[in-house]
Amino acid sequence: MRRIGVFICHCGSNIAATVDCAKVAEAARGFPGVVYSADYKYMCSEPGQEFIKAAIAQEDLNAIVVASCTPRMHELTFRKTLANGGLNPYLFEMANLREQCSWVHTDKEKATVKAIDLVKMAAAKANKNEELTSSTMPVHKKALVIGAGIAGMQAALDIADAGHQVVLVEREPTIGGKMPMLDKTFPTMDCSACISTPKMVEVAQHPNIELLAYAEVTEVKGFIGSFTVQIRQKAKYVDHDKCTGCGLCETKCPSKVPNEYDLGLGQRACIYKPFAQAVPNKPVIDPLHCRKLVDNKCGLCAKVCPTGAVNYQDAERLFTDTFGAIVMATGYDLYPWEEIYGEYGYGRFPDVITGLQFERMVNASGPTGGKLKRPSDGQEPKSVVFIKCVGSREPAKAKGYCSRACCMYTAKHAHQVLDKIPDAAVYVFYMDVRAAGKAYDEFYEATLKDGAVYLRGRVSKIYQEGSKLIVKGEDSLLGRPVQVTADLVVLATAMIPSQGSRELAQTVGFLPDLDGWYQEAHPKLRPVETPTAGVFLAGACQGPKDIPDTVAQAGAAAAKVCGLLSKSQLETNPMTARSNPAICSGCGLCVAVCPYKAIQLISLADRDRYGKRINRTVADVNHGLCQGCGACTVTCRSGAIDLQGFKNNQILEEVDALWR
Amino acid sequence: MNAIQIKMREVAGQLLSLGEVDRVIGWEKGRFAHQSPPAFITDETKVERLIWDEYCLTGTAKYLLDDPYRAGKTGLFARGCDARAINRLIQDGQVKRENIVIIGICCTGMSDSVSRQMAAKCCDCTHPTPVVYDLMIGEPVKPVAKPERFKAVAELEQKAAQEKSEYWTRQFAKCIRCYACRNICPACNCRECFADQYRVGWLGKQHHTAENQVFGLTRAYHIADRCIECGECARVCPVGIPLMELNRKLIKDIQQLFGDYHAGVDSETAPPLGRYSLDDMEEFM
Repeated sequence: MRRIGVFICHCGSNIAATVDCAKVAEAARGFPGVVYSADYKYMCSEPGQEFIKAAIAQEDLNAIVVASCTPRMHELTFRKTLANGGLNPYLFEMANLREQCSWVHTDKEKATVKAIDLVKMAAAKANKNEELTSSTMPVHKKALVIGAGIAGMQAALDIADAGHQVVLVEREPTIGGKMPMLDKTFPTMDCSACISTPKMVEVAQHPNIELLAYAEVTEVKGFIGSFTVQIRQKAKYVDHDKCTGCGLCETKCPSKVPNEYDLGLGQRACIYKPFAQAVPNKPVIDPLHCRKLVDNKCGLCAKVCPTGAVNYQDAERLFTDTFGAIVMATGYDLYPWEEIYGEYGYGRFPDVITGLQFERMVNASGPTGGKLKRPSDGQEPKSVVFIKCVGSREPAKAKGYCSRACCMYTAKHAHQVLDKIPDAAVYVFYMDVRAAGKAYDEFYEATLKDGAVYLRGRVSKIYQEGSKLIVKGEDSLLGRPVQVTADLVVLATAMIPSQGSRELAQTVGFLPDLDGWYQEAHPKLRPVETPTAGVFLAGACQGPKDIPDTVAQAGAAAAKVCGLLSKSQLETNPMTARSNPAICSGCGLCVAVCPYKAIQLISLADRDRYGKRINRTVADVNHGLCQGCGACTVTCRSGAIDLQGFKNNQILEEVDALWR
Repeated sequence: MNAIQIKMREVAGQLLSLGEVDRVIGWEKGRFAHQSPPAFITDETKVERLIWDEYCLTGTAKYLLDDPYRAGKTGLFARGCDARAINRLIQDGQVKRENIVIIGICCTGMSDSVSRQMAAKCCDCTHPTPVVYDLMIGEPVKPVAKPERFKAVAELEQKAAQEKSEYWTRQFAKCIRCYACRNICPACNCRECFADQYRVGWLGKQHHTAENQVFGLTRAYHIADRCIECGECARVCPVGIPLMELNRKLIKDIQQLFGDYHAGVDSETAPPLGRYSLDDMEEFM
């Protein structure tokens, strides 16, 4: 029989102002199994916890109920108190008198009645609570970072610098992501490539980092501490061990295609490095356009290669490795504005470009060598219009969220136009200017002083008239329509999750939010964790971010990974689902509803009702993967699968107590 | 002798003599003229026992669970309702498709043994032609929508909560907890029914209206998105509880909430409450 101690917390006046705590404590003494009850101002405080420990010893208590705040706040605190008092920590039960009672009610009398009921239910459950014990599992001291943009590189470097092994996987032929594509970074205007390419080199040279460029994660099994990951190395058609990166092949290749890295503004060969400072600084062959691979003609690159590194027979390779932690750093893409913005010409006007295309154009190592040119005729634009929030903050049409970086990069672009073309006219159509960052607003003010004309309002139409673009919009501050004749229009398009990130999340075993961004475990308190233990988030894959925030978050994710990898054993959560094979009929509904892919059907040797040896199918829970959400237990009709600490009989006991 | 019956005996004889199956399950004439209980035939010389008349009411599929691990193959005579029941059992992982030879029969409906009118379960039948079969006897009939089968539910919905509560209390006051509804139901295929788990505390053993109601309502929820509408539960209930009204209420709600779903029409489409998707509604959050 349980000897339950009930402790009612006042939480200062948070609970005590609305609930008569002494009365609740008194009522609790009449509940089955309760031998001791008391109320106290702050149960979670040091004296409060000592009070519980003393009561455990004096009253020989073997189950504890604390009626205070939410278990999210202090369940762990009180479990530790029990452990320190010599009890199994899972003999603890919490009644939430704050969030579920005092904070939501005003009538003290009725709130007290409800509080008594809540405690009654908790005491009933405490009667049925069982001792639970954690087990341990080993931690593979190696981290996987998926995506080698600035977020992935920073996370990999921080983890590697702490002395842990890192495998960094990037699907493109070069690491670096979007940052080296940019010209300058706001608000300091330092050269983006000058601060990102040294990081790329550092990553490549770091003894603890294994770099896998042009590779993709294809399968993830296992759980925190022990993820078994299958990686697909795409066929490069160039042996990077032999290749010296001399670049002769690139100059001789006769087929040219638009360069993705320049967003179609420039051209590249079919054996190519995306840009001059690419890491690895060795080319790959584009199998979709290479004449040798498509038509078996040409073969020039192999002929000119001084080291014989070109190998047209190269094939993709699959291999697996085991990791203790995974960092997702898959970044962002830009909203495909051409698909829905008919008013901006559906991408038909060559002189309507995106902010990222502007970056390539204004970049000294870009396709125009840093000269601003109209893509249509190569002329220098004298009138440039910037349109912000293209796809962002447009819930009816595209995305409801703010893409966060556009206000600042548009101010930077406006500044750059005025800097490079002193007699240019610059107009910025905006909804709000969101410049909440260190030295951000000052930068925006400086752009205004430079002479950029900010027009608050949206653009309703762009059309071509001769070689000019006519931009029609509204100045909502003056309340009148405006029309600007522009040579170049730059759209600040919304950030969206990078292509394929949803599928990757499913492969890794968690679910993105409705916009496709990776969901953090808690928006405030666990911002770099995912609901899947051992999987962390860095950078824009979690939501739109600028570079400083991305780098900071990557460091935070790395700190979490280091914390995990610094342990050799992990304690498991004992509150996981258990399947009872004697009852399980193997219908598999639990498998279908498990969001963590923690349940599988296995074959069990048994005898049938006639004594014949048979193999039957039953559900089996992987306790490393199970997060204890309970979706399986409510799906199981016969209760064959049951959640430790929230067993069906424990919950029924609570419900029954309410009616006693 | 009717054509279907002739064909049934012929097919059963062939399957047994060729060794393709080692038993067939169909119907035979029992003690009473107005009843045709299920027949289990393992000997090809006994196929003459098989009959097809207006009283072949009993579902055949659930009998597969009497010995789910038997070695041989079973030839199963299946009407539309039986075929959906087979899909139910396949989807629930209780039988393997390859262990059954389904001899489909295009059924035009059976008669109630007492009233001699078309049986209630057949009046409401939407899929008279088997949805899955290996061999087929008779001319296929197209599925019919039968929205009128929700008439009783719609009428009940109009009543006040108190009236509904009284109605079901009255119905379950009659219940004798014989579990015939559960035992005949192809969706009730748990190894151990919650109703038999006294130690957990779902419900007690005592015979008591409230406990009967817990049993009946919980059973309805357990088969909510998996009920194949064979109507066997209501047919076998010895005290005449209109169990299909409960099932149809849930089917109606599920169709409103999750779209048109007909359990057991195929064995692939997961039941709406038995899958997890990002697009699931979460209006409560």
